Amino acid sequence: MRVPLILRIGALVLATTGFYTYVGQMVPQKEVFPPRESTIGPNMTTEDMERIGREIMEGKGMCLTCHTIGKTSGPFRFPDLAGVGARAKTRVAGLNDVEYLAQSMYEPTAFVVPGFPPAMPPINKPPIGLTDQEILCVIAYLQTLGGTPTVTLQTKHHYNGGAK
Amino acid sequence: MAKLFPNKLLGLLGCVAVLITFQGLATRASTRISPEQATAQAPATPASPQAATGEKAADTQSKASDQSKPYEEAEYRTFPKVGSRVAIWAVAQLHLLFAAFVLAVPIFAFIIEVIGYKTGDLRYDRLAYEFTKLLSVSFSLTATFGAALTFMLIVLYPKFTNYLMSVFSPTFLPYVLLFFAEAFFLYTYYYGWGKFHPLLHLGLGLGLNLVGTAIMFIANAWLTFMMSPHGVSDAGAVLSLRDAIFNPTWMPINVHRVIANVAFGGSIAGAYAAFKFLQAETDEERAHYDWMGYIGNFVAISAFLPLPFAGYWLAKEIYAFSQTLGLTMMGGAFSWLFIIQAVLIGNLFLAANYYLWLGMGRVEGQQPLQKFIKYLLVGITLCFMVWATPRSIIATVSEVRAMGGSAHPILGYLGVMSAKNTAVNILILTTFMSFLLYRRTGKVATVPWAKTGHAAQLTIFAAAAFIVIFLGVYGYFVEATVRIKLSVPQVLSVLFAMISITAIDVFLFRGARRTGEVRWGHIPPISQYVLIFIAVTFTWLMGLMGYVRSGLRQHWHVYGVIRDRSVDAFTPTLGFATKVVSVTVLLFFLLIGVVFWISSLHDRPDFQRRSGKDELSPESKGGHPQGHRQAIS
Repeated sequence: MRVPLILRIGALVLATTGFYTYVGQMVPQKEVFPPRESTIGPNMTTEDMERIGREIMEGKGMCLTCHTIGKTSGPFRFPDLAGVGARAKTRVAGLNDVEYLAQSMYEPTAFVVPGFPPAMPPINKPPIGLTDQEILCVIAYLQTLGGTPTVTLQTKHHYNGGAK
Repeated sequence: MAKLFPNKLLGLLGCVAVLITFQGLATRASTRISPEQATAQAPATPASPQAATGEKAADTQSKASDQSKPYEEAEYRTFPKVGSRVAIWAVAQLHLLFAAFVLAVPIFAFIIEVIGYKTGDLRYDRLAYEFTKLLSVSFSLTATFGAALTFMLIVLYPKFTNYLMSVFSPTFLPYVLLFFAEAFFLYTYYYGWGKFHPLLHLGLGLGLNLVGTAIMFIANAWLTFMMSPHGVSDAGAVLSLRDAIFNPTWMPINVHRVIANVAFGGSIAGAYAAFKFLQAETDEERAHYDWMGYIGNFVAISAFLPLPFAGYWLAKEIYAFSQTLGLTMMGGAFSWLFIIQAVLIGNLFLAANYYLWLGMGRVEGQQPLQKFIKYLLVGITLCFMVWATPRSIIATVSEVRAMGGSAHPILGYLGVMSAKNTAVNILILTTFMSFLLYRRTGKVATVPWAKTGHAAQLTIFAAAAFIVIFLGVYGYFVEATVRIKLSVPQVLSVLFAMISITAIDVFLFRGARRTGEVRWGHIPPISQYVLIFIAVTFTWLMGLMGYVRSGLRQHWHVYGVIRDRSVDAFTPTLGFATKVVSVTVLLFFLLIGVVFWISSLHDRPDFQRRSGKDELSPESKGGHPQGHRQAIS
């Protein structure tokens, strides 16, 4: 029995789309939800801030889309953050670690690590849009990477009303 | 087709479609009334006169309360069953697919008509007419889906649509006027075939192309603004309409879409020719549709080869606009989508080369160039494998431990951009070579400098391949800032090779000796199924890339400006996305089948009444397209 042409073509179209749908099921399946708003209370300790800071970096801040922590061999898209807590103290002359880390988030192109493109967006503006308090939490976490956290929610720096 | 869709069946399908639409609208309308409202509005049977008086008072109070109810603007509404996002997604995709076809066909129909006019070869004129025949029904479907999309946006996303209107309202009137102009040009171009002086008719074709492109550019401003907003404040207030239109991704999308539309339109026209070839009953018909299919595929692949370069430009602008957006695309939630894309594009290249190889059999006699095809095939397959190699591999915990990470210790090196860029460029070069070999089949160059010409072509090809591979390997040893820039000389060397080798080839084979005639229609039927496969793959690819372009914004309607707060403000799994793409593609092919069928009615013999004196002959009715074509000559 000869299969009518229209059925042959229909079968080909179905088989082709079916194959591509199958390929689509073979790759990792992940739903990406909008970032959760962090709950920052006024009485939060520096330790709490470190934990929240890490969560923000993985979620709302999208930091780990570009940065790695503890990757030892290349290629690197952007600087690896392991040890940044120690490096931040001396990276830019005249800036302490808190000021440097704040600058790298509020005004990321003010200083760019040599060998990397000036591509980081200001983190306090949309689409990421972290609040001043959320950025302090991120600084707290970054300070733990090779250093000791010193910030509290009351810490002032150049970008949240403090003097430079 | 006509046998498959008899009138009764079509009538039945039409009724079912109307009923489904009505049911959908009714459900939609009913969902807008809350259960509380429904209860409040429902009349109840009074139990006693006192109760009736009490209920009357309550009813009066309820009416008074209804009257004082303030107006509240809905932010979102829900589409039944599938949800608003999927509904908009499917309708937008169908609109885009038909719009792409309607914009693309006039481009190559016009070029083919120009060739026919310049050479005086009527075959080209007939071919251009045949392509144009597919337009009018597709145009109506494009407009219908466009209207459906607009209404659905207004109903389902009123607040966001209102915002877009506030930004772009000055562009709406020009858009509508251009749409009228497009309808004018399209119908006069189609119905005026053979009725006007050829130059006037070509002028109509040119007008159709210009207006169609302008319409697309306006619509592109709206959608690219959503991805890379410009000319508005952080809070979304309009600062400059011009900047909103000339946003960073507007021109790259314009260029990318023009090229992609031509590739897509060529493939659909090729599929139409394949369908007609397989239906053909005479050698003459087979020869014509074989030729038409070849031209359709030639158009599709010729446009497809430079498409990745337009894609590079678009990706570069996305990165320049927002590194976060760029990395979400290539390194974040959508990175695996590009593995699926690699499978699609690899299949397109393989199928296109297979079709060319089968096409070599059309030429009389033994073809010495055919033996080179297997080497090209090996190259294409290797490139395909590299391109489809993911950086991270799905593996169990023990496998990850054994590999020392999610990247394979050896194959992982093929999953990075240096390797993929190299693979794509070599793939393009190889397919270009395949085209060149096909072009030379059955010909021998007779110009005195033939040997030098061949040597020059080979040298350019080898140099381009060397540059691409060298820079690909070099990319592993340099910083990211340097590596990103290496893709530019890779692309430029391939482009240079394609242009210069083609230029040499044109002169090299001028007045070439023929060793065998091309016998159109002498090609295995499987080649026609390959053309249909290419069309389906192109359509699917467009659906997938449309998804990534739109989905890239993730939980933003307008990236960084207007947040999506609907229940659909999340990125679905790729598995789900591919299912939606597949359903849309199937719907498109169902509809394009109807377009082909309606277009084929034109060629049917006229209806003849069986009863004696009322019988009309086909000639007395006229209207056969051959009549138009004869008129041109």
